[in-house]
Amino acid sequence: MSDDPPPHPALLPAGLRDLLPPEAETEAAAVEALMDVFAAHGYQRVKPPLLEFEDSLFAGSGQAVADQTFRLMDPVSHRMMGLRADTTPQVARIATTRLATAPRPLRLSYAGQCLRVRGNQLTPDRQIAQAGVELIGIDSPEADAELVVIGAEALAAVGLSRISFDLTLPTLVPALLAGSGLAASDQAALARALDRKDAAAVRRHGGGLAGTLIELLLAAGGAPGALTALRAAALPPPVRDMAGRLEATVAAIEARAPGVKLTIDPVEFRGIRYHTGVCSTVYAPGRHEELGRGGRYVCGAAEPATGLTLYPDAVLRAAPPRQPRTRVFVPAGADAAGAQAMRQQGYATVAALAGCDDDRAEARRLLCTHMLDGGALIALE
Amino acid sequence: MTALDRAAALQPVATGSLILALPKGRILGECGALLARAGLHPAPDYDDEASRRLRFPTNEPGLDVVRVRPFDVATFVAFGAAEIGICGADVLMEFDYPEIYAPLDLGIGACRVSVAEPVETAGSDDPTRWSRVRVATKYPNIARRHFAAGGVQAEVVHLNGAMELAPGLGLSRLIVDLVQTGSTLRANRLAETEVIAHVTSRLIVNRTALKTRPEVIGGWIARFRAALGQS
Repeated sequence: MSDDPPPHPALLPAGLRDLLPPEAETEAAAVEALMDVFAAHGYQRVKPPLLEFEDSLFAGSGQAVADQTFRLMDPVSHRMMGLRADTTPQVARIATTRLATAPRPLRLSYAGQCLRVRGNQLTPDRQIAQAGVELIGIDSPEADAELVVIGAEALAAVGLSRISFDLTLPTLVPALLAGSGLAASDQAALARALDRKDAAAVRRHGGGLAGTLIELLLAAGGAPGALTALRAAALPPPVRDMAGRLEATVAAIEARAPGVKLTIDPVEFRGIRYHTGVCSTVYAPGRHEELGRGGRYVCGAAEPATGLTLYPDAVLRAAPPRQPRTRVFVPAGADAAGAQAMRQQGYATVAALAGCDDDRAEARRLLCTHMLDGGALIALE
Repeated sequence: MTALDRAAALQPVATGSLILALPKGRILGECGALLARAGLHPAPDYDDEASRRLRFPTNEPGLDVVRVRPFDVATFVAFGAAEIGICGADVLMEFDYPEIYAPLDLGIGACRVSVAEPVETAGSDDPTRWSRVRVATKYPNIARRHFAAGGVQAEVVHLNGAMELAPGLGLSRLIVDLVQTGSTLRANRLAETEVIAHVTSRLIVNRTALKTRPEVIGGWIARFRAALGQS
């Protein structure tokens, strides 16, 4: 027997939390504001289940999140199921199965919760909200640009107008390494050094590539400077084509949304590792977390696709605070039509369920800032 | 849906001042010379270890210096409390924070992370036959990784200092520690049996800061890079 006191009933497992009023309401409103922008651009909503069999959840791009997935056995079928850690693999499954005959390019959106086995260094959260879009069946710079532009518009809808997109090419470093003739152990060490931008280790393990890699590593920053460095770098033909594609994507974004701030990090290849082309990460000034992430991947067997996932929790932490509905106290016996009219104007009405001596005091006790008095709205000081 | 306070979220980016985190102790002196070459002059009491002040203004209006323990430099930078820092590669190896970039090797504070054991037992045993070994260290992760790579479990006794006492007092068989000249080891009758890594100090930057303020952070990396060229 342990003498430890029983755990406090409010204690939740690590990385999980309750959202209380008014945050739960403003979060839902923010997600809907993001989804409205996606819908307005023709992205139709799908809703995959929270759980599915692990063979389908981890097929293709899902493999990358397998070690972050909570698993449990289905007592009915005795097969292993996984709780989704990322929604994109589920949307990809839907696109290649149930919607295989839907016309391409297929535009789908989704919003929902994901669970991860571990949080990361900056945020310990294990339950992560996602709201995202997938553009399936087309491989072009314009398609990559569409998601960046829509993402920026969705974030502007929740008051975030000064975000930046960091564009990366996660395939560039692996392609450079594969053609380098370096020993496998050096390639692994070099990949790790590049991930940490550790210039000393890049020089140690980089062989003939070290000079190029260090120049690219230090070129990370604003789009014009980074593109200049990429053009100047000595790149073998397949890698040169990748760099050309990144440049075309930047041009497509700037043509459609000249105000979006773009940075480029040519040697970064971090993230959920199923990406096969231009990727983006969304940042807000002064915030130390990512607001979203996306990129090009292969949907099903061979279909080109690109997606962007926003993280509403992080978006809300960065966005200007949102005002919850104003609460209006409706005393017992007040005119029902008057209260109805208030609700139609966007107020929240809090009805007295029984008469009381002091309506004003009761209104304040119930956290109302206003009350209905004989059909008129009056503010409580 | 109305914004109550747009100002907080929409402050101009460029006005926030940068924090440079510097390590107390061993390399503070060498750091000072490097800062001077980079044209950065903190308030005069910065290299006075007796000063109680922790945050020092510099001749650059947009940059303040904070002086913290070497291990904490990495933590401050990883969490974005400081945008830039200087710390030993040993600290980066130990914490392995994915949020830290180490774009410059400053070449100062050279030393090594090594395994040491009492002179009497050094070389008397074949480590490949071990299943596990007890190690006293302030680098639990480095020690575990190093021995695991050789198929040995490291039972780590985590100490914050005076590792050299541990084998003699029966606390551990080995130590993993930072070795500069080896004189502390010799004074405690320990022999350095294996070098895990040679380390020097690095200029480190916060990943998100580099992504969101590339001009400012990149400018400082370039200044330190130029300062290295002069030495």
